[in-house]
Amino acid sequence: MKHFGPHVRNLRETLRKQDRRYSLRQVAARIGVEPAYLSKVERGEVAPPSEATTVKLAHELDQDADVLLAMAGKVSSDLQAIIRKRPQVFAELIRQLKLAPDHAVLRVVREVREGEW
Amino acid sequence: MITLENNRLIFRFPEVHEAACCEIRFQRTLRIPDDGGEYPLPPGLGPFPLRHLDDYARRIPENWLARGGVIMPMHQAEALWLGFGGGGWDAYPCAARIATGKICAITGASWSEGLSHAPQNYVVLPAQPWLDGYCVEKGVIRQFVAMPLGAGYSVEEQISGTAEHGGLQIAVYPMKAERYEALMRPKRGQTLGTGPIMFGMGLAVGAAGMGMAPGGRMRQEIYDDPFGPDAWDLNHSSRCFVTVASSLSWASLTGERPPTKPPTAERYTKAGLPWFDYYGGDAKALDGSEKLKQVLSVAELGEKTGATPLPENRSVDVELIIALRKTGTDRVREMTE
Repeated sequence: MKHFGPHVRNLRETLRKQDRRYSLRQVAARIGVEPAYLSKVERGEVAPPSEATTVKLAHELDQDADVLLAMAGKVSSDLQAIIRKRPQVFAELIRQLKLAPDHAVLRVVREVREGEW
Repeated sequence: MITLENNRLIFRFPEVHEAACCEIRFQRTLRIPDDGGEYPLPPGLGPFPLRHLDDYARRIPENWLARGGVIMPMHQAEALWLGFGGGGWDAYPCAARIATGKICAITGASWSEGLSHAPQNYVVLPAQPWLDGYCVEKGVIRQFVAMPLGAGYSVEEQISGTAEHGGLQIAVYPMKAERYEALMRPKRGQTLGTGPIMFGMGLAVGAAGMGMAPGGRMRQEIYDDPFGPDAWDLNHSSRCFVTVASSLSWASLTGERPPTKPPTAERYTKAGLPWFDYYGGDAKALDGSEKLKQVLSVAELGEKTGATPLPENRSVDVELIIALRKTGTDRVREMTE
């Protein structure tokens, strides 16, 4: 979680070098927080923002929201709802897959069928 | 493999490279006036919902089911644009072919497998952040506008003379792994990225489905392939047919409400909201397709036949334009209504 702020700052500053709209002030305005607050988040002086704000930040910085939420020590509420609905099944599934390589995990993901056309 | 995640199609090629991945989004947007003028880029107003076609297997025609892929809703005369993701510093380049009604949106040729380089029949991701329509001239596209298949407006009907397929078709080819590694070598130590994807999508309305027709003219460049024909791994690709259902069909099929109709270009502009222009640096733009240039837009064809296919088509004076540059993020064009 301590890496969250510097990571966000690094991403934003990389974008700002090419586009001034990624200044602290403008990004803060677009995600609906005060610049001073975002500055504190980036410096790690306060805890990462709420789930909704972190998702907006991920969108703004073109990052995967789940990855940024994980860095913030959070799990998105939609995932929590999925697990709460069938806790035993998903808890077991996650434990079983915890050491599996990515390609093995992806095998259990539903694919879009290509079909004939 | 293609997966559907948060209304986005994700293409992964783990057999090529662990980073070989890209995403395609289907964005709701304004329909720009089809008045002969050239307009800047309209905003994204949020994603269209996408669902697995197989989930509605018992309620759709057999020929739709055979196509597989995904289904999405569109209102008649509604526009869309495609957003291409995976734009970080280490993004895995992919070549994406885009067709509507199995007519290539870049060249106007009938669909065939593989990539062609003269003329180029694909866009290169992530250098190409968006595709809003048919490449009709160098630096000019005609917007994708959904019209009922069989009404005669679609590019498919105007070029092939048939109303058979509709929808959108997408195929993605990843860059060869060794080319990607060579590309990344000098960049590593500076920053990170993703990979390539291929898929297809198609539109359907009612039993006939919906097709894509050319709408108003927009300033948008389709970029030349900077890597060359040898860069792409033609042994690995994925493709997806996106069926487009009318909003009414969608509601009865899925039980879900389709998204509301977007505001008109006039209403949006009068509210003081921005349009966009994009500068892709020194990237070279492709010439337009002569075949696509000859296709009549929805308004032009309506005028010829005495119909009024577009419910609102007043010209607008665009004053607020935000210039976007190549930043590695393409989300800045996406807004909420």
